[in-house]
Amino acid sequence: MSELAHTNHTEKKDFLVRSSSLKDVRSFCREVFEKLHIDQSLKDELVLAIAEAAQNIVKHAYKDSPDTEDKMVVQISCKENKLQIGFYDMGTPVDPGKVKHREIDNVKPGGLGTFFIQQIMDAVEFKDGKKPWINHLVLTKQL
Amino acid sequence: MSYKVSEEGNVATVHLDGEIDMDVTEKAKEVIFPHIDAGKEVHLNLSNVQYMDSSGISVLIESHQKALEKNTKVIIKEVSKSVLKVIMMAKLEQILNLE
Repeated sequence: MSELAHTNHTEKKDFLVRSSSLKDVRSFCREVFEKLHIDQSLKDELVLAIAEAAQNIVKHAYKDSPDTEDKMVVQISCKENKLQIGFYDMGTPVDPGKVKHREIDNVKPGGLGTFFIQQIMDAVEFKDGKKPWINHLVLTKQL
Repeated sequence: MSYKVSEEGNVATVHLDGEIDMDVTEKAKEVIFPHIDAGKEVHLNLSNVQYMDSSGISVLIESHQKALEKNTKVIIKEVSKSVLKVIMMAKLEQILNLE
């Protein structure tokens, strides 16, 4: 992979929890992956996975608070060729057991975001959010 | 997202431009669905769409299914490589009408 990917690199940024922030999340990720010299094809996939996870926060963790002023944090770390993306939010607690994608052969709108994340990333893990955070999602990918 | 629509006979051609995510899906539906409801064949040109997420894919599925109900069809044209990759990841390349 890239030279920089061998070094330790961490960046994080917060975003208002709303759908209009998703393009800013993507821009942030693209900038970081540019610095990490991640190739275009993988970069596109990673941006999609991260944007889907951020979308899930807007759509599900803040389902009942569309006008919230809360912020979510996206943190991208690369250590020894392992990419780790953390998401922090203060929305409704996520029950990991209920996070499922739809059956892929049952074609209907919705339910694909989690499927994309699982297809792209090596691991998806919900951790206990430490105050003030409620939810802490970690996506990992070996580069 | 911006768009351009042209009509000729029973065909409505919709050019979408930009990134299609959750923030613009309602707008995309407002542009596409009335033509399907009117029974038009919709040619959806995605040559200028470089990014589409699961919300955008849902619009494609909904448009396709709505068209079937109205005995017409949505044909997706000039799909960019990056969007095709997402369509294929969703295993929809055999379901949607791609040209």
